[in-house]
Amino acid sequence: MSAQVLGMGRGLGLRYWLRIVTVVAIAVCLLASLPRVSGVSAEDAATAVAGADHALQVAFVTVVDTERAGGNVSGLIARLNEAGSALTSARGAFDAENYLDAASLAASSEGLADGVVADAGVLKEDAVDQVAGWWMTVLFSVVGCAVFVMVLFLEWRRFVRFHADRLSGSRPEVVG
Amino acid sequence: MWSLAEYRYVFMVAGLIGIIVLSIPSALVLVHPSGGERFSELYVLGSGHTAEGYPFNVSAGENYLVYLGVGDRLGSAAYYEVVLKLRNSSEPLPNATSGVASPLPVLYRYEVFLTDGQTWEGALNFSFSDVVFGENVSSVGMMRVNDDWVVVNKIAAWDSENSGYFYEVIAELWLYDSASSSLSFNDRFIALWLNMTAAL
Repeated sequence: MSAQVLGMGRGLGLRYWLRIVTVVAIAVCLLASLPRVSGVSAEDAATAVAGADHALQVAFVTVVDTERAGGNVSGLIARLNEAGSALTSARGAFDAENYLDAASLAASSEGLADGVVADAGVLKEDAVDQVAGWWMTVLFSVVGCAVFVMVLFLEWRRFVRFHADRLSGSRPEVVG
Repeated sequence: MWSLAEYRYVFMVAGLIGIIVLSIPSALVLVHPSGGERFSELYVLGSGHTAEGYPFNVSAGENYLVYLGVGDRLGSAAYYEVVLKLRNSSEPLPNATSGVASPLPVLYRYEVFLTDGQTWEGALNFSFSDVVFGENVSSVGMMRVNDDWVVVNKIAAWDSENSGYFYEVIAELWLYDSASSSLSFNDRFIALWLNMTAAL
C-alpha cells in the first residue's frame, strides 16, 4: 500500500516538477522578449517626455531673461538646440512604444535644459555687472562733458578779459 | 591778429569737438541700431540646398530629402517648433489669415532655438509604406519622418483634373510666447504637394 502510494507520489511529483519548469521557462522567455515592458511603463515615459518639454520651456524663459539683462546667449541657445533634439528623439521613441529609450532621452533633454538654467543664472549676474559698468561709463562721459564745457567757458571768459586788456594796452595814444 | 569773434569760433569748434569725443563712450552704450521690421522666416529647400529639386512623384519604399529652414528676425532669442502634418486635398490647411493651425494630427516636431539674426536648417527625410491603390483611390498606411515611423492611414481620391493621387506635407511654424507660456501658431506654413505613384 505504502509502496503504491510512494510510486504514485513519484509519478505525480515528476510530472508536477516538469510542468513547473516548463511554466518558468515560458515566463523567462516572455520576459526576455519584452525587455522594454519590464523597464519603463508608458505612463512613466509620457511623464518624462512632458517633464522634458516643460524643462525646455523654463530654460528658454531663463535664457531670454539673461539676454534682456545684456548677456550673450548664443552658447546657451546651442545647448537648448541639443536638448530640443533629444526631446524630438524621445517623442519618436515614445511613438514607437520604446518607452525605455523615450524616458532615457527625455531625462537627457531635461538634464541639458537644467544645465542651461544654471548657467544662464551665472551669465545673467555677469551681464548685470557689465551693465553697471556701462552705466559708470555713461556717467563719467556725461560728467566729463559737463566739466569740459565749464572749463572751456571759464577759459573763454579769461581769454576775453586778457584780449580786452591787450587791446587797451596797445591802444594808440596821442602824444603832445 | 584775430578778432574776438574769430576767437569765439575757435573756442566753439574746440568745445564741439571735445563734447563729441567725450560723448562717444556713452553713445556706444546707449545707441543701438534699430532692428527694422520684426518677423520670422520659414522656408523649404530641395535636396541640393537650393530652391529646386523638390520631390513630387513619390512611391512607397523610396527615400526623399528636403531641408526646412527657420530664420529669427524678432530682435531677440526665439523658441520655434516646426510641426509636420500630412493631408489629402480635401482636408483643411492652416489658415494664416485667422491664425488657426491645421487640426490634423502632428507627425513630427522640430524644436528650434535661435538668436536674433540666426537661421536654422534641418533635414526632412521621409518615405512611405503600406501604400495601396484601389479603384480611383489610394491609401498610405505609414510615413517615415527622419528616424520615426508614424501611422498616418491617409486616403486620397484620384484627381482627374491633375491626374494623380495627391497628398500634401505641411510644415507649420509655431512660436513660444513667454506671456502665455505656450507655443502658438505663427501664421506661417509651407506645403509640399506629393503625387503618390505605384512603386516600380
